[in-house]
Amino acid sequence: MSENILEIAGACKFFGGLKAVNDVSFAVARGEILGIAGPNGSGKSTLFNLITGVPFGPTSGEVRFMGERIDRWPAHRISRAGLVRTFQKDAEFPALSAHDTLLVSATYNGRLSRPQAEARIDDAFRSVDFGQTRRSMPSRELSVYEKKQLMIASALISEPALLMLDEPASGLTKPEIQRLDDLLITVNRSGVTVLLIEHVLSLLLSVSQRLIVLNQGSVLAAGDPHDVVKNPQVIEAYLGGRS
Amino acid sequence: MANKRQLLAIVALFAALALVPLFVTDSYIRHLFIIAFVYAVIASNWNLSLGHCGVFNFGHLTFFGIGVYTAAIASKTFGINPWLAMLLGGGTAALSALLLAAPVARLKGIYVVLVTFAFSQLVLQLVLSQSQITGGAEGMVRLPFLQLGSYSFLKDFKFGYYYVGLALLALSCLFLAFVSNSSFGKSLKAVRDAEDYAAARGISVARQRILALTLSAIFTGIAGGFYATYLRVASPEVFGFGTLSLALSMVLIGGVNTVFGPVLAALVLTFATEAMAGLQGFEDARFIVIAVAMILVLRLAPEGLVDLLGKLRLPVRRTQT
Repeated sequence: MSENILEIAGACKFFGGLKAVNDVSFAVARGEILGIAGPNGSGKSTLFNLITGVPFGPTSGEVRFMGERIDRWPAHRISRAGLVRTFQKDAEFPALSAHDTLLVSATYNGRLSRPQAEARIDDAFRSVDFGQTRRSMPSRELSVYEKKQLMIASALISEPALLMLDEPASGLTKPEIQRLDDLLITVNRSGVTVLLIEHVLSLLLSVSQRLIVLNQGSVLAAGDPHDVVKNPQVIEAYLGGRS
Repeated sequence: MANKRQLLAIVALFAALALVPLFVTDSYIRHLFIIAFVYAVIASNWNLSLGHCGVFNFGHLTFFGIGVYTAAIASKTFGINPWLAMLLGGGTAALSALLLAAPVARLKGIYVVLVTFAFSQLVLQLVLSQSQITGGAEGMVRLPFLQLGSYSFLKDFKFGYYYVGLALLALSCLFLAFVSNSSFGKSLKAVRDAEDYAAARGISVARQRILALTLSAIFTGIAGGFYATYLRVASPEVFGFGTLSLALSMVLIGGVNTVFGPVLAALVLTFATEAMAGLQGFEDARFIVIAVAMILVLRLAPEGLVDLLGKLRLPVRRTQT
């Protein structure tokens, strides 16, 4: 089996004349936490979209997950294969309770029977420290942090091989970001590879073993997170030219 | 799952309906109940695709019409037992829904409305043009009626048909409650509300839409078969816009996020329209009254009548799943 769980080769996504992602290539090693950073509009979320097929695949290029080419697979198949993502904005099933959100994720993504899914729900809630009394609440009535917890729990319940998190710390308070930091470390130690887009630099530097910086749809720098953030080009592009 | 209070209210409603023929001997009132049961089946099953899954399917009455003509042709032309002919109506309706769903599943919004409406027109034209089979514009009359052993349903003042209609509605409600409370039923709401998120949780959006449309056609088609067998007529009027708009008003007034809302609305609206038809000056205005009621409900209680009753702390509440 490949040492790399995910391999991207020459991935492009064009919207007419706009090159949102242009010839991006990188690999994610099994078991690591790889951070992705970049200024707004640099193509981070588009990159996540084309990898996961939600809502579109790449214009060209290859995406391989656990050795298999997946860039023409429908989104639900990619997710069932173990490559599960979260969304930058609050994604929710407003008519479903937190419990039913996990039930649906476990049933479809995890391909579990209902009794098996029910048995796993409690563990998934506990893994993100989700409040006992909030579990039967309709998702639309949850707080921002609870919605983030639920989105991560709904990803974890199917025991993914690769978890892709799109700015999970946005809108969170400092203590909540610290709890998220702990959670990511715990999840990673349980054997889940993590690909993390984040603007909160402290979180990225704390949890990532490697860091990629995108700018204008292309890879600007990659390597050890502490070295990458000192790269003059990165400082110019990502941090707005401060030295 | 519906809580105990909801369950009690639903059981009480069906128990009360089961007692009606024992106290109401007027066959016309029984007839109104039977028509209300048919509409309740149509509307509540339409709600599965329209309300639960968010598919703007405007061809739902076509499934009903296909059930009507299947039962009519099967029983009259081929001499198949009317009981079996009714069930065949469900089978052909589901099959046609499956054929319709394949192209519709990947479409969105207005395109779904256009394709499903075009489908209904296509089937109507097929019925009208194949007059040697369907009777054309005049339809088919004197269809075989139901019998149970030596018991004839024809001269019992609609006593037997009443209970067949009620049983059909009860079975349809059980089916819909089961579907709605299953993981599949919950996934339909996930697809309706957040398509991308649903796909990212392993749900095939197209597959769920195809299944929702197909399942919604089963009892609708059987209701069509029952309707034809009961009235002993198969007429192209069942494809008409009047039937469609009345059934749609039942879905919207009853509540699109519920199982029993459209059932309740069907009972109320059938009797309300009939009562207004008897009032001088309201014969033609009754549909305007329904349209105004629909606008008011959508404006004041977008979740429908059942949700409004819940807010008023009446026993029947929304079946939240």
